[in-house]
Amino acid sequence: MGILASGWALIPSFTVIGLVLGGTYALAAMGLVLIYRVSGVLNFAQGGIAMFSTFIAYQIAVKWGLPSIVGLFAAISAGMLIGYVVERFTMRPLTGRPALTKVVITIGWLLILQAGAGLIWGATSYHAPVHLVSRNGFRLVGTSVIIGYDQLTTLIVALVFAFATAALLKYTMLGTSMRAVADDPDTGKLWGISVNRVTAASWMAGSAMAAVAGVLITPLINFNTYSLTLIVIDAFTAALIGRLTSLPWTVVGAMFLGIAETYPRAFFNGAGVSSLVAFLLMLVTLAILFRPGFSGRRTV
Amino acid sequence: MNAINARRISVVAGIVLAVAIPAFMADYYRSLAALSAIAAILILSLNVLTGFVGQISFCQYTFAGLGAMTVGALSGAQGHHWSFWISMPLGVLFAALGGFLVGIPALRLSGLFLAILTLGVALGADRYLFANGTWNSFTGGVNPRTPSRPTLFGYHLTSQYSFYLFALAAFLLVAFLVWNLRVGKTGRVLRAIRESEVAASTMGLNLIKWKLAAFTVSAGIAGLAGGLLAVQIGSVSPASYDFLHSITVAAVVVVAGVGSLASAAVGGIFIWWLPELLRHTGVNAQFFQLILGLLLVVQLVIAPQGGVVKLEHDLKRVFGLGRRGQDLELAEVL
Repeated sequence: MGILASGWALIPSFTVIGLVLGGTYALAAMGLVLIYRVSGVLNFAQGGIAMFSTFIAYQIAVKWGLPSIVGLFAAISAGMLIGYVVERFTMRPLTGRPALTKVVITIGWLLILQAGAGLIWGATSYHAPVHLVSRNGFRLVGTSVIIGYDQLTTLIVALVFAFATAALLKYTMLGTSMRAVADDPDTGKLWGISVNRVTAASWMAGSAMAAVAGVLITPLINFNTYSLTLIVIDAFTAALIGRLTSLPWTVVGAMFLGIAETYPRAFFNGAGVSSLVAFLLMLVTLAILFRPGFSGRRTV
Repeated sequence: MNAINARRISVVAGIVLAVAIPAFMADYYRSLAALSAIAAILILSLNVLTGFVGQISFCQYTFAGLGAMTVGALSGAQGHHWSFWISMPLGVLFAALGGFLVGIPALRLSGLFLAILTLGVALGADRYLFANGTWNSFTGGVNPRTPSRPTLFGYHLTSQYSFYLFALAAFLLVAFLVWNLRVGKTGRVLRAIRESEVAASTMGLNLIKWKLAAFTVSAGIAGLAGGLLAVQIGSVSPASYDFLHSITVAAVVVVAGVGSLASAAVGGIFIWWLPELLRHTGVNAQFFQLILGLLLVVQLVIAPQGGVVKLEHDLKRVFGLGRRGQDLELAEVL
């Protein structure tokens, strides 16, 4: 692992890359938080859902050569469908059961999606990424930093989703219902809210966000069925920084994580040190934010 | 015939069958049998954590990897040529040290957050510690280590059957140890912690000490399994100890049920023989994980305490042998 002399010179452009990476993490993490707040289930299959939906987009946009935007919407639909199936057939029958049982079920889904995608698209080889927009870019005024249109798009999509989710929760009937169910499902029922429907909606929205995150991240990593699934751990770290409840802090955490993972690449060869930084960040977050006695109960 | 006698008879019968059946197998299937015994040890290691103190781990293969790589680096052909009997205990110790270190942050966490932490540990090991370039003198880098089979009482365990018996003996030894932990004072302490940490600490139990001990012992057992795996396969490649393997073994433990020695044996057989069965019927072995995932999801809805444990209790009920203790739902165990 040699130290490159040109490390510091790369920092400005790596900041852009880090923020873009963080934007995709933020999407996946917000989906995680949404599902967790409404249904109380920490979705370990989030990466699996992102991966499977992304491969749907890959099939359509890269293999069949249709416009990328069609692939993106197919991926979103696939994500929503998977989210619905998971909630309707494996979460709803267990209503009233301990949340941990449901969490272990998401591990089962992770295995199913992972093996299923491996069977369809092959488990080991890397695939060509899904490009939504051209890779051309522009020079940031007054600097030497070049920002690609694809990078800009990713960042904008991530921010739009963040604000849209916040607006959904705050201003719409569905969002109000979600927050009510997150507070207390039983009280929600008393107010005439269909808890099942709201929970299903949260799973669908959360999974759709995972799907978008997966499609957007493909140009940034070598993607195969395995590496794409692993964004679940980055999503967890970002969500933990948001204490699994706060969407704004989740976005901040995701951006911070993206940058923290990117900077080491300016100084070290290989991805090892970046992974170490991500792991340490998670460890520190767990140690600082989750004191003994924090049971992970849903609060708003 | 009372319950204790029935238990003894079934254990003895099980051991006799486990020794006898592979004697009639081809060498390839004997090696699968040895791999099953080793996987069963790994499942027992998870049982120590999950069944006793109610902690879950998604990084058992990381601990196994520590054991395997120690054995590979110390006794391998490109390594230090040390004896298996020195490098294996060192592998167990090193894995146990890893478990101890993971156990420290885990003391502050429980349930979900511990699960996330162990997942993070597994990925951290995958992408950093075991990755090519980080610590090649330990992991072997791109050239996998090739440890050789040990010699026992002057007999070199090169034949598949002899090594299978060795692995089986190791499994029985660990099973005996785990069983002892379960029935003795230690078992009562650990169960008390699992049922209620608050109640246990008001009884004057030192939670920190016991939980750390459980993590250390569990990782040590996993390290033993890893070392045996390295010697059985004859090569140590980091990819065999990645996060998906850990998830798979955790899923098998959930499907088979926690806290039963029989379920560990069944789980070990399941992990190696189902993919083999699939291969024989011309089905892609990747269907194994698909089936495992489906089993996990379906059985948690039907029998939340684990398939084999449920079957055991059903059989006991059928034969009127009474029930020892209560069936616990998985989530109560965790």
